[in-house]
Amino acid sequence: MSVSRPSSTDRSEPSPAPVVISTRRTPLSARGEPAVWLLGLALCLCVTLVVALMSVIVREGLRTFWPRPIELVTLVGGEKLLGVPMQDESFDAADGEADAIESRRGASGLTEGAFGDDGRPTRRLYRVGNRDVGQEPFRWVTLANVVSIERPAAAVMLERQEWGVWIGVPRSIYRQEHIKVPASAGELQAAGVIDTESGSRGVERTLLGTESDGTRVVRQRTGLMGAPKDGVSFPSREAWALLDSLHEEATDRAARIKAIEKDDIGAINHDMESWRLRVRKAEMERDRAAADAGGTLGGALALPAWIGGLTVVLALAGLVVVLSRRTDHRTSLMRMVRPALLVVAGLVAAWCVLESPWSHRRVTDADVEIVKAQADAALGELQASYDKALGRIDELRTLDEQFRVEVVDARGRFAPVRQTAPDEPLMLSQIVRVVRPNDLNFAGKLGVYFSRWAEFLGGDPRDTNTAGGVFPVLFGTVSLTLLLSLLVVPMGVVAALYLREYAKQGLVTSVVRIAVNNLAGVPSIVYGVFGLGFFCYTMGQYIDQGPAAPALRFDWWLTLGGGALATIVAVCVAIMAKPMPGTPVRGVHRVMAFVAGACWLLAAGLGAAAVFRTPYFHGFFAERAPNPVFGTRGLLWASITLALMTLPVVIVATEEAIASVPRSMREGSYGCGASKWQTIRRIVLPGAMPGIMTGMILAMARGAGEVAPLMLVGAVKLAPDLPISASAPFVHLERSFMHLGFHIYDLGFQSPDSEAARPLVWTTTLLLIAVVATLNVAAIWLRGSLRSRMKTGVF
Amino acid sequence: MVSPVESNSVPSGRVMIRPMAQDRGSIPARVTMPASGGDGGATPQVRYPIIDAIRRGEAVESRTHESVKLEDHVLQIRQFCLWYGAAQALHSIDMPVARGRVTALIGPSGCGKSTLLRSVNRLNDLIDGVHVKGEMILNGRPVYAHDVDVIDLRKRMGMVFQKPNPFPMSIYENVVYPLRIDGENRRSVLDAACERSLKAAAIWDEVKDRLSQSALGLSGGQQQRLCIARAIVADPEVLLLDEPCSALDPVATLRIEDLIHEISERYTVLIVTHNMQQAARVSDYTAFMYLGRLVEYGSTADIFQRPTLEETEDYVSGRFG
Repeated sequence: MSVSRPSSTDRSEPSPAPVVISTRRTPLSARGEPAVWLLGLALCLCVTLVVALMSVIVREGLRTFWPRPIELVTLVGGEKLLGVPMQDESFDAADGEADAIESRRGASGLTEGAFGDDGRPTRRLYRVGNRDVGQEPFRWVTLANVVSIERPAAAVMLERQEWGVWIGVPRSIYRQEHIKVPASAGELQAAGVIDTESGSRGVERTLLGTESDGTRVVRQRTGLMGAPKDGVSFPSREAWALLDSLHEEATDRAARIKAIEKDDIGAINHDMESWRLRVRKAEMERDRAAADAGGTLGGALALPAWIGGLTVVLALAGLVVVLSRRTDHRTSLMRMVRPALLVVAGLVAAWCVLESPWSHRRVTDADVEIVKAQADAALGELQASYDKALGRIDELRTLDEQFRVEVVDARGRFAPVRQTAPDEPLMLSQIVRVVRPNDLNFAGKLGVYFSRWAEFLGGDPRDTNTAGGVFPVLFGTVSLTLLLSLLVVPMGVVAALYLREYAKQGLVTSVVRIAVNNLAGVPSIVYGVFGLGFFCYTMGQYIDQGPAAPALRFDWWLTLGGGALATIVAVCVAIMAKPMPGTPVRGVHRVMAFVAGACWLLAAGLGAAAVFRTPYFHGFFAERAPNPVFGTRGLLWASITLALMTLPVVIVATEEAIASVPRSMREGSYGCGASKWQTIRRIVLPGAMPGIMTGMILAMARGAGEVAPLMLVGAVKLAPDLPISASAPFVHLERSFMHLGFHIYDLGFQSPDSEAARPLVWTTTLLLIAVVATLNVAAIWLRGSLRSRMKTGVF
Repeated sequence: MVSPVESNSVPSGRVMIRPMAQDRGSIPARVTMPASGGDGGATPQVRYPIIDAIRRGEAVESRTHESVKLEDHVLQIRQFCLWYGAAQALHSIDMPVARGRVTALIGPSGCGKSTLLRSVNRLNDLIDGVHVKGEMILNGRPVYAHDVDVIDLRKRMGMVFQKPNPFPMSIYENVVYPLRIDGENRRSVLDAACERSLKAAAIWDEVKDRLSQSALGLSGGQQQRLCIARAIVADPEVLLLDEPCSALDPVATLRIEDLIHEISERYTVLIVTHNMQQAARVSDYTAFMYLGRLVEYGSTADIFQRPTLEETEDYVSGRFG
């Protein structure tokens, strides 16, 4: 029996319709295969780009610190140079040079790879360092012109405190002292040999001058291994050991000097400064007291007015007590009477406290004299300990200057102690690290690699940021990002909560939402300009110096009273503007809501005016004028500026998260008798927390990578003082800071030796990416744990 | 006790706004039209005068049986009207609710039974544009008055919703939520209350070992019983159930119905249901509503077996609606 279709009754044919087997095929476009390929291709392209970018950064960033060999290159003309090969490239020689290069083609002893596969000549970039003897630190060498390339085992690369690296071969280490030889000592011997416990040492003496009594000042150099000149035979185990041990001592001494300078002398300076400020503050208070013309009301009226104010306060307080006995307030408006009375009473009480005839203790000349005497005594003591600390530093420095090392380059010049003294060799303490790559096995290279990483991550930058560490930079970046997320999340969440939960959805909220979304598109430099103008110069200066133009006291109290009145009116009208639940909204309600809003605006304006023109605040750091404390670029203002910049992200994310909390949850909560605030706090906010965290992650990612506004509001080239210190108040948010993004810009484009700093740009970029990724991963992990706590086993 | 429904002053003369619900209502054509002669010819041609009047927007007098009036009333609903914006959803409801009994609200979709239930604890206040007229009195205290503390009012009632809505917290925290928001943080009190109400909701044995686990891991029926436990933990004066079984399977439904039986010994229960059998099984009194009006209200036995109105009889037997 054939397959029968469901037949309807109006069909009367007895024979079933023939079974039709469709031969149509769904076209490719309908099945969407090409679209899948296209989408996959697009995704592949994106992934490839990201992977390529990341792999370049990781590769370049990781190999910066690997010690590369030093090559001794002999050129055709006999010229020699010592350098570290950086990269090879094919090039088209200039006309004058081309024939010379061409003539070398096929010559015997030609360096391998002198001509590329395409027949073009190859040149190699050598890092030759030695900038302070007037040499370009990088040099292109045409390989065709090279006679021989060797890797001398004795070659070293000195990483120095200043002037970049020095590449050369160490020749001798000696101790240089200035001694006085009395006239009676006889003829001065220019050179000689003395015997010590560890063998004979060469000595070299140079007469520097003769004093009036015939005493001769002599510079004596004693070889620490062999003679002062050509004394040490590198490379040998003993020679390296001697160099290393002496270098270690020198580094210790340098560290001790630095510690004394930073801790002891720093503390002394800080104490001296604070005594000076104390004196200045006392003087300023005295001057202010002298200039003060008395209370709000004239001198004769002061006492009666004050007594009157006190009476008003007492009367109002009594009224409040009486009212609080009666609990049968019929309307919510009646319930507002007590708080309103309390506000008024508080205002009058504040006036009574601030303007009481006894409230100002006048600072007199005698007070200032006492402070001055104290300061003089303290300063004397501090000066003594300052001199003592300087003495200790001098002692160490003198010792430091004795140990010298001669490291000569291919042309026989040794590294000078400073650019202006080419005949004085380098002090050991000026060297940060001695790297001898040609004489190191893999483990030794690994040691250098990690010691460089340790310095990079934990040390301060040196040599105008082109070398050394980035610890302050790292610290500044992380603290900025954390501070910004601490600021932006509460601000954004509060704003979004009001906008979504409390505000009446209408024209105003739409306008606010559009404005917030537009803020996300404002170029970040604009925020920088705003932050500098408003936070640094306006708010900061207010904190430092107090209001620039304080109001007269009478006017100020009038402003404050007006503000309080406006607040009370606003609250009362707002309560009246709310229709009873169950009754329709009428026009009068809308008018009252508008009036309440206007009163709120007025109150806010008057309040702001009162704060910014108060005659009772003279700044926290007035005595430091004209030096700004908060009134300039700093970590706090940078964080607030970035928080403002990333606020829209958090607001939008939070609003969406709040909206996604299901209505049934809220109704359940209300049904249990929870108030709106309890519902928000216990149901809505926990439910929205993952979304809020998403907003925070986005804000952090954007804030951490931002550079442009930071250049205006806080990031600087060098700020070795961290925003956290061991001295009170421990957290210094007013300090300017360093930032990885800005540091990359500085390294790449602002440094005196940008070619040398280029590898560091890669490493710093890698570090910045790692920091942002770490912060994000931490936040994502936090969000994940929140989510899993909220929802388990839903399915 | 004066029963409000005895007053003859049915609000009339007022131009009624067509309720929105009417458009959604699925009223078979034969309610207003003579039945077509094709099938079921045994049924006589019926017209429902009251239903017709309601559909025309006219005021009708609801039939409230004497048996209801004789009870002690926990809740009095008098002349209660409610508007969603311009659309009127409830029309002059007069309805006393008996203390310690289960009262069921039945009626076709959109007849306002859920709205009435949500008006009792003023959950409708949360919706923009709702306004009401009339009076509700819970244990002698008005529900709709100027000085009513809505938060406190809701604390005097427990509510269970159509869809189980446990909060994303542990089972324990779910149950004690009403106490927590009341500021109760003593562990011993919370523990005792939690155990008591979980036992009362007949779910204690299933969850006693996993009180600290998320409530969202429970099955639908368990979640709904958990919600009932949450609703009764604070000893409410009235328990409001808004179609508590509509999202559950038959087995879970039976368990909830048993539970309602047990709970009704201690609490007054007001339950909305669209399931006539359920109303017949669990309730002591039944109110039949249609398009925002109360049509007939009496003891469940009377409504289902001896209704005074033809409309009610046909509705409960499934012949219309």
